[in-house]
Amino acid sequence: MTPLIEARTLGKVFPMGGGPVHALRDISLQMCAGEYLTIRGPSGCGKSTLLHILGCVDTPTSGSLLFDSRDVGSLADAERSEIRLRSIGFVFQRFFLLPMLTAAENVDVPQAEAGVPKADRRRRTMELLEYVGLAHRADHRPSQLSGGEAQRVAIARALANRPRLLLADEPTGELDRANGEHIAELLDRVQSDGTAVVVVTHDGALAERAPRRLLMRDGRIEQEEFRR
Amino acid sequence: MRVLAFASRSLFRQPGRTALGILGIAAVGALLFDMLLLSRGLVVSFRDLLDSIGFDVRVTATDSPLPGGVRLDNASEAAAQLARLPELREVVPMRTATGEALRGERAVATVGLTGMDPGARRPWTIVAGQDLDGATTPPALVINQTLMDALGTSLGTTISMRVSCSANRAAPVAVPFTLVGIAQFPFDDEAQSTGVMTRSALRSACGDGADDADMLMVSSAGGSAAALAAIRRARPDLVPVTNEQIVARMQTQGFTYFRQISAVLSTITLIFGFLLITVLLTVSVNQRLGEIAALRALGFSARRAAADVFVQGALLVAIGGVLALPVGYALSLWLDRILKAMPGIPTSMHFFVFEPRALLTHAALLIATAVLASAYPMWLVARLPIATTLRNEVVG
Repeated sequence: MTPLIEARTLGKVFPMGGGPVHALRDISLQMCAGEYLTIRGPSGCGKSTLLHILGCVDTPTSGSLLFDSRDVGSLADAERSEIRLRSIGFVFQRFFLLPMLTAAENVDVPQAEAGVPKADRRRRTMELLEYVGLAHRADHRPSQLSGGEAQRVAIARALANRPRLLLADEPTGELDRANGEHIAELLDRVQSDGTAVVVVTHDGALAERAPRRLLMRDGRIEQEEFRR
Repeated sequence: MRVLAFASRSLFRQPGRTALGILGIAAVGALLFDMLLLSRGLVVSFRDLLDSIGFDVRVTATDSPLPGGVRLDNASEAAAQLARLPELREVVPMRTATGEALRGERAVATVGLTGMDPGARRPWTIVAGQDLDGATTPPALVINQTLMDALGTSLGTTISMRVSCSANRAAPVAVPFTLVGIAQFPFDDEAQSTGVMTRSALRSACGDGADDADMLMVSSAGGSAAALAAIRRARPDLVPVTNEQIVARMQTQGFTYFRQISAVLSTITLIFGFLLITVLLTVSVNQRLGEIAALRALGFSARRAAADVFVQGALLVAIGGVLALPVGYALSLWLDRILKAMPGIPTSMHFFVFEPRALLTHAALLIATAVLASAYPMWLVARLPIATTLRNEVVG
């Protein structure tokens, strides 16, 4: 099977005042469609940097990344945007829902950007809000939602264009245990419905849910585990 | 959600700040609009004034400014000669003088006098009484309301006036005139006393018997350019000028100050507008960096994100610019009243005159300002490092 993502000896160096910081060193990784992968590690170990490179929002200093067999490094910014729009969904620790839009409108935004017809968007938006259990909150603004609800809307938004890969950066980082559990269950469901999921987290319980787990330290993959 | 709807929702999420921004742009736009009206107002108004009189060419003895230059001799003969040209419809000699209107022995007003035989068209409009005729004795005099008020008399009465036609002449004697009418004179200012009589009456009053005129007022038959050429051919010794040429001369001489003031103030208002929009958009962008980075991560292209900023700028300017028009127009009426109170400004002239081109220029300048002002915040958005911004937002 052709991997959805293939990272080859990725390196990332940030030039800093006190000298260059090596955020990633020789990371090689393959991930197939529908896989579920979590990445753990101490703060500053390079988890989020790796996630950003896998999500085509950042570029490696060395090595290469193939997304669906396309060399991301050779693509123009607009082409990378197009990949993100149609093939990758992002979930952020701070949700980043647009405060002036309702939950439904937030889910609508990526679809409109992708040129989906209005009727199809409306249908898909309601389907996704039902999927995350928030159909009854469709007309509520983010300020009227709890943290858990806001993150569920953010997941619905990330799934709007039926991405092949969902990336989540500390998705339970700002939630209490109960809401974190809801989000973890939702991510399980997303993966079981066929979308590849990569979650960066400090939350051990969340990390343990994935069949494949990476432990990172000092910019390297220190350990890779597979659930048997 | 389309670009316009998205940008408008982004813009109005901070209604207070947006309202202040729009008001600021409306104020700047109103001043800009006024400066555009001022830049050509006097020229347009002066041209309209000249055209309203009905004569489109003026003929003088020299090219000195009108009136008051060297007088044209044998004016009746010159007028008759030119009147025979097919390119000319009517030629009327006009002579000016200064008079002192008397009540008893006491002078009550200094009067600007015109000696002109009324033809098919004349540069005054009778509002009471009747027009000049050559039969009335003492000679008929039509005056404006200001002089009528100063004299405190009524139509049909006889008044005395000392008429001075030349600085070389000794103190003129008082001459009687019959007040036959009250008229509006287009070049009168608020306080000016004006009168008109026939040219023969003025000649008699002057006591010099000279058949001279300050100028010949010409109405062309087939356009002022053809009339001009015909006059030059027939009388190369005379100097004809069209209304357009007089306006052009005023534009490069008398009205230059207003154009310069207008240009300077327009530039300053545009700079204020530019800074206002740039600051508003830049502050808005800086407050939403995380959100913009998230949208970019979700697939918004750099161009799309920048377009959002541009449309926000365009919306600010469009709404502010439309509000600016009634505000600017009202302000121009007020300023016009103030400026027209200056002495020597004809009441029918205006400093601020609306023209459709002012509207177009106003729109074009505001659009250009919006484009330039949006450039920096658009650049910020387009160059936003997505990963770094997302990381900073979490750390922050």
